This record gives sequence, C-alpha cells and structure tokens, in this order.
Amino acid sequence: MALVVLLISLLAPPSAPGSAAAAAQPPPPVTAATLVYLESPTDTPGQKLVGALLDAAVFVALVAVVTFVLVALYYYRCTGFLKNYMRFSAFFVLFSMGGAIAAAVLRRLGAPLDAATALVLLFNASAVGVLSVFASAVPIVVRQGYMVALAVIVAAWLSRLPEWTTWVMLIALALYDLVAVLAPRGPLRMLVELASSRDDELPALVYESRPTVGPASGSSSYASAMGSVEMQPVADPGRSGGNQYDRVEQEDDSSRAVVEMRDVGGSRSSIRERNLEREAPMAVSVSGHSSNQGGSSQHAVIQIEQHEEGETVPLVSAASANNAAPNEEHRESSSSDSGMEFEMFESTRGIKLGLGDFIFYSVLVGRAAMYDLMTVYACYLAIIAGLGCTLILLSICKHALPALPISILLGVTFYFLTRLLMEPFVVGSSTNLVMF
Amino acid sequence: MTVAAGLGYALVALGPAFSLFAGVVARKPFLVLTLLTSTLFWLISLIILSGIWRVFLPIRSGAWWPYAILILTSVAFQEGIRLVFWRLYKKMEEMLDSFADRISKPRLCLTDKMLISLAGGLGHGVAHAVFFCLSLLTPAFGRATFYVEKCSRMPFFLVSAIISLGFLVIHTFSMIIAFNGYDERKRSDQVFVPVVHLIASVMTLINLAPGGCVIGTPLLCVMGAVTLQYCWQMLIC
Repeated sequence: MALVVLLISLLAPPSAPGSAAAAAQPPPPVTAATLVYLESPTDTPGQKLVGALLDAAVFVALVAVVTFVLVALYYYRCTGFLKNYMRFSAFFVLFSMGGAIAAAVLRRLGAPLDAATALVLLFNASAVGVLSVFASAVPIVVRQGYMVALAVIVAAWLSRLPEWTTWVMLIALALYDLVAVLAPRGPLRMLVELASSRDDELPALVYESRPTVGPASGSSSYASAMGSVEMQPVADPGRSGGNQYDRVEQEDDSSRAVVEMRDVGGSRSSIRERNLEREAPMAVSVSGHSSNQGGSSQHAVIQIEQHEEGETVPLVSAASANNAAPNEEHRESSSSDSGMEFEMFESTRGIKLGLGDFIFYSVLVGRAAMYDLMTVYACYLAIIAGLGCTLILLSICKHALPALPISILLGVTFYFLTRLLMEPFVVGSSTNLVMF
Repeated sequence: MTVAAGLGYALVALGPAFSLFAGVVARKPFLVLTLLTSTLFWLISLIILSGIWRVFLPIRSGAWWPYAILILTSVAFQEGIRLVFWRLYKKMEEMLDSFADRISKPRLCLTDKMLISLAGGLGHGVAHAVFFCLSLLTPAFGRATFYVEKCSRMPFFLVSAIISLGFLVIHTFSMIIAFNGYDERKRSDQVFVPVVHLIASVMTLINLAPGGCVIGTPLLCVMGAVTLQYCWQMLIC
C-alpha cells in the first residue's frame, strides 16, 4: 500500500545510523554480496568495478541456485517444509535484523530502553508478524504492515552494502530477473506455472495491498486470484477478443497502482474492469545450513540472499482477461468520479508484484538518499515510470513479466544522470537565485 | 528553528501545491497519473538542459550575460516541451473520446479538460519546486541558516522557497492558459504563456545584483498573481 514513499521515509532513519554505526565499527558487515571482494575506499575504480562485478556474479549465482532448490522442493510437493521454512525465516528477519535496526534507531534517538523490555516487545512483535503473515484470519492491515516492515528491514540491510557493489548488483539482478522469468525454462517461470497448474498458492509470503472490496471475502478471493493466474488468458482467447484499453493509474497518496483492463468483448459488450490489486508474494526462506550460529551477521547474509530469490519470484503476472465470474461488476464509489467517464470496477482478479521488487526499489532509493535528496526524487519518479511501463507491457503480452528490469534500469540511469549532469546545473543556478 | 524552519520553508514552497493536490487531484486517479507524467516530462527536460549546459558550468565570472543566455535557452526549451506535452495530451484525448463513444459514455467535458491541464501544470510546478527548492532544503533542517552573498537580508532558503512558490503558481496556471489557448487557437493566450515565463525568469536575474532579491522576489510574486488573474479572466469569459 504504502509503496516507495513510506519505504523512503522509513528507510531514511535507519540508513543514517547505519552509516554512522559502520563508521564507528571498523569491520563493515560481511554479507553474501561481498564474499569475494570487499570494497575499500582506497581502491582504484578499475579494481572496484571488477570486484563489484565478481560480487554481483556470485550473488546472482547464489540466488539462482536457491531459486532452483525452491522450485525443486515445490515440484516434489514439500509444501509443508517450505511453509515452515518461511515461517522461520520471517521470524528471523523480524527478530534479528529488525532488532538490530531497532537498536540502531534507538541509539540514534537516544531513547533508553532496557534489554528485557526490548526483548519481550521484539519477540511479541515478531510472533504476531509470523502469525499474521500466514494466517488468513488476521486483519489485512496488520498483514500489510508486516509485509512493509519486512521489506523495509531487508532493504535497510541491503543498503549497507558498498556503493559500487550495490549498483552492479542491482543491474545484475534486474538482468537475472529478466532471464528467470522470460526464458522458457527459467526457474521463476516454472514456479509460477507450477503453482497455477496445481491451482494453489505460491509458496510465498503474499502481500495483499488492497483489501478486496469484491463480494468474495479477503482470503478466498486471494486464493482464487493467486491460483488461476496464468492459465486463463490462454484458455479462451476468443472471448477476450475486442479492444482492451488499459490505463495505469497510480494513486499517489495511497501509492496504489491500479490497472484497469477493459474488454469490449464480443460476447457481451459490458465493460469489465478490474481494479487490480497488487499482491506481492515473497518467498523468504532460510537455507538450512546454519553452521555459523554465532555470528549474527552471517545469518543476515543468508537471509538476504534468500530474499532476493523470493523477490524475483514475484514478477508481475498478468491478470487474465477472462475471469471466472466475469459479471461481477463493482463500482468503486470512492474513486469513480462523476465528471470523467472512467469508472473503476473492482474485481477480485489481481496483479501480483513481488514484495522483493519493492525491496530492491527501496534499496535503489535508499542508496540515492545517501547522496542527495534530488537523486531520491529523480529515482522515485523513474521507478514509478518504469512500473507504469511494465504494467502497460503486461496488458499487451499477457503472461508473467519481470517487474525489476525497466524500473531498475530507468532508476539507475536517472540517478547517474541526475548526479553527473543535473546537480551542478541546478545547484549552480539556484544558489545564484537564478531560476526559470 | 531547526525542524520547524525547514518544515516552514517546505510548506511555503509546496503548501499551495499540496492543498491543490489534496483537494482536486488526489480524488481522481487519472489526474494523479497526469501529474506524474508531467513531472517526469519536466525532469527529463531539466536533465537534457543540464546535459547541454554541463560543458559551460560552473560559470565563474560575475557577469550576468551567461545567466541570461541560460535562461533564454531554458525557457525556450521548456516551452517546446510544453508543446510536446500538449501533442501527447491531444492524442490521448482522442483515444479516450473514441473509447467513450464506443461505450456510449459522455465525452470529456470542458471541466475535465481544465482539470487535466491543471494537473499537468501542477506537475510542472511541483517538479520545479522539488528540484530547485526542496532538494536544497535539507541543510535548513539543521541548526544554521545560509545567506547568499548577494542577498544579505533574507536567508537563502526563504528566498528560494518564495521564488519556487511564484514559479509553481506560474507553471500551474500557465498550463491551463496554454492548453486553453491551443484548444481554441487563441493567439493571445499562446503568446502570453511564454512571455510570462520569460519575464518571470528574467526577474530572477535581478537577484544577481547586490541586494536585488528584495526587489526581485516580490516582483516574481506579482507575476504569479498576474498569471492567476489572467487565468481567472479567461475562465470567466
């Protein structure tokens, strides 16, 4: 729900104490992304580039391996194992990484809190988080809150990586996302297709961004939306003939992206529009080998890399043109305006977008925030534009699409353009109070 | 005087835009989309401009003519961007109209067009305010303030906030004027917009003179008021 804006605002406080803490403690965190090469400020750009490339390669390889393992597990129906896995890892993310970040924030704010209280609070919060993530009875707001919290925590951890590595890793992950989703034997594609053919949920944490206003109650509609994602557009293309206009609308305040797909179908001329809710499935899993129990940073590492893999899962998958119950038309009274002729109808069919994508968007924005506020705005705009492009593309070709590449590449481009070109210009002219 | 000052500056620059957004734009998702698009447009135009000017920066000499050239080219370029934006909007409007015909819904009425142009203008204005004022405002949240050498009476942040407020008003409402002018092919409206933009930008040149900001900033606000008045007149008749 609160997309990047909330993430930025939440991310900004952790990033500041994070850098301060990193400055205070000489050894920077050793994570999976920096296994091969650890950037130090004295290196030459060439060294940094090579090291960052190596890091990114290792990282992506790890992600790919873990994804394949996940797919294999899912293929052999070890769903219970996967679920428990994810529960454990969600707990772990909330408890250890969230605890570390909360401690940093507390230290930064100078707020005293004794250890016992902090532990109890943290434990309760994480326990509720784990329950809410998987139980369907929990109010949706709570679940959304925990999903956002998870994303923020992971993004805050990831933004502690050294600078060059972050950039190269972002680009490499975007490319990997592209391959994994679009290649015929790509792991994520296989995962999505498997899930849709079995007609059950993806083994993933799911972020439902919008309480479904539709007739179906939250949980069941969610399941149905999850289940039949990919099959239907192919199922009967005849019915979905006609024109489809899509508009991508982004409501900024709620940061919700709404795609309406309208079919003027041949069979019935009524418009069905769906206000697609975004759901972000995210698979979080901790790899089993916990050989290094002692070092908490080591743990963080493992988790991080898993996240990514989860996060690449969540490509945007297309909502099918034909719904199971296509006639349920719902006018969403709040956003349909009388003056313009677009009404929005709410339907239960959804777009899925990975929570992990949000993580990487916010890593990008967080990294931009370490430079200047101007780059943050530029990146934010670029990411939104990229999302819009992805959604439009999604409506054209109706299968799962990776959500990372366009946004990330646009964001990185805008970041460097802003930093190299625009900033001296704007600062130069506006410190002279010359504007136009 | 730390957080309060920073918030105050930000609200001086962006307060009207925020209330416009909350009151008008945020209710209709389509307008929000328009706003985002036009903000992106403005950002791209700014990036291109700065790419061109990167070679000549920073201007070290105290002369005013490089700034004059800079402003001339920038205004010309941005008015060109406005034309492009208009073309794009026109295309989209045709699409929407044909679609509305097909499903036998009413077409876009005049108010909707006005709203769309308002959102587009607001996007330009917000982008201006964000990049020229808000992004430089972070130090204002700290414990000190900053005075430019040429303008020793007012803090830099206050001046830039007021200037971007003026430009926000000008951008927002000149977009309405321009769209209306293009639509009705009124020559005077079409000319009015670039002229106002140019005059307002030239007024910021006054700030280069020592102590000039005391004169230039109010003049800019007057320009904003003139734009508002013109827009109002145009809507009345």
